[in-house]
Amino acid sequence: MTVRNRGALAAMAAGVAALTVATLVACGSQPADDVGTEEATALASATPSPPAAAAVPSVPVTTGELPADAATVPPVRLVIPQLDVTATVNAVGINERTDEFEVPPSVDQIGWYRYGPGLEADAGSVVIAGHVDSAKQGKGAFFRLRELDQGDTLTATGSDGRARQYRVVAREEYAKTKIPLDRYFARDGKPRLTLITCGGPFDAETRRYRDNIVVTAVPA
Amino acid sequence: MKLSYFRRVAAGGAVAALAFTGVGSFTATPAYAATSKVSVVHGIPDTPVDVYVNGEKTLDNFKPGDVAGPLNLEEGAYDIALTKPGEPVGSAILKVDNAAVPGGANISIAAHLDAAGQPKITPFVNDVSKVDAGKARLIVRHTAAAPEVDVRAGGTPVFEGLTNPNEAKGDVDAGSVQADVVLAGTDTVAIGPADLNLKEGTATIVYAIGSAEGKTLDVVAQTITGLHSAPGGVPSGDGGQAGTGVDTWWYGLTGAGVLLLLGGGVRMASARTGRK
Repeated sequence: MTVRNRGALAAMAAGVAALTVATLVACGSQPADDVGTEEATALASATPSPPAAAAVPSVPVTTGELPADAATVPPVRLVIPQLDVTATVNAVGINERTDEFEVPPSVDQIGWYRYGPGLEADAGSVVIAGHVDSAKQGKGAFFRLRELDQGDTLTATGSDGRARQYRVVAREEYAKTKIPLDRYFARDGKPRLTLITCGGPFDAETRRYRDNIVVTAVPA
Repeated sequence: MKLSYFRRVAAGGAVAALAFTGVGSFTATPAYAATSKVSVVHGIPDTPVDVYVNGEKTLDNFKPGDVAGPLNLEEGAYDIALTKPGEPVGSAILKVDNAAVPGGANISIAAHLDAAGQPKITPFVNDVSKVDAGKARLIVRHTAAAPEVDVRAGGTPVFEGLTNPNEAKGDVDAGSVQADVVLAGTDTVAIGPADLNLKEGTATIVYAIGSAEGKTLDVVAQTITGLHSAPGGVPSGDGGQAGTGVDTWWYGLTGAGVLLLLGGGVRMASARTGRK
């Protein structure tokens, strides 16, 4: 075998090695597949409204008083035994500048969307979002959210002191540009708890994750 | 609440009141939505009524300050009549024939006093477009026997120069605000103050009703829910520790691997060919 041949062989061996490493890395980085998408979608379908009645049906009458403050029960604590997570839940709204969900800046705390249903609601999606991580603070409360699987349990405790059990039915990953947020922030459909964080490939330049991880749970 | 979020809508400018006969020209009606949601608001003081629609009694002993509905009404023309409770439809105290209800709209029909104190019926088309996340819609309608008014929130005028039978509206930060109604350009309070709880994703419609002269000025409120929007997004991480998929270096490594393989292969091949 010539020297030239040996060089070529070495180059090919190096190439094979590089590709092997690349393949291994790529396989190791694959997120777990979505589970329960159909269940999550079914939960969101609104209860069918009664068909348009006859020309002049009987009519509900209310006293036209100014609306009172609704009695919602905010979640104050979320426990996820599977992930060894116990986190304080803050009531949060919308960031005025970005029009986005105001996730609490402290990564060990998570935020409940105060405009949506509370734990008392018999319909709609209670939304809690938390950081997966932060450049300054490290891992967040929802760092391992994507490890949750169907059947795992969660406990959300309300401001009324009552602990409510939930069972995970779905875990999905969506590109942030494609996520059906209307479904997860719906105020109708079956009562459910929706946990949201970031995931997928990370763009180091924009410091943004491409995707959102969404876990849907129903009262257990 | 930040008052800057009130869009100051001049009275009359944004008014959705439509003449009953002109309703038919309502064009923003999708073909599939043949029914409309119709509510009825009673703003005539001291006058409970029975409400007849197309000759049939629809509301029995409907009281001032009450809101009925919404009814799902098919697109079409309706005869509406108000009688004193128990009296036949023939002796109506107020009636409108052939009131056109367009398809696919949300309408409030107010029985109220005009500026001079005469009972009348005014239909309003309700703005049920979505509000942005975090916002609520406030609609104020002047349906009282009273002069031009300003509506104030936290003491600052937000809707000015509102006259009967017109409306003013704006999308504001959701939450509680103390509101009152004053005679236009003055600090003379005509109605209120009252705490307005503007729930996110809803429209709160406040009707000023009654008569200034009769000292029966009051408000009636109607709420429309389900106008909420989802937040623009859920940004929840900038650390990168949880990144899945592959980084830029991966593409470099893969590229290098392919090049090395190809290069080596070509050299091998050319070496063999050369030996032949």
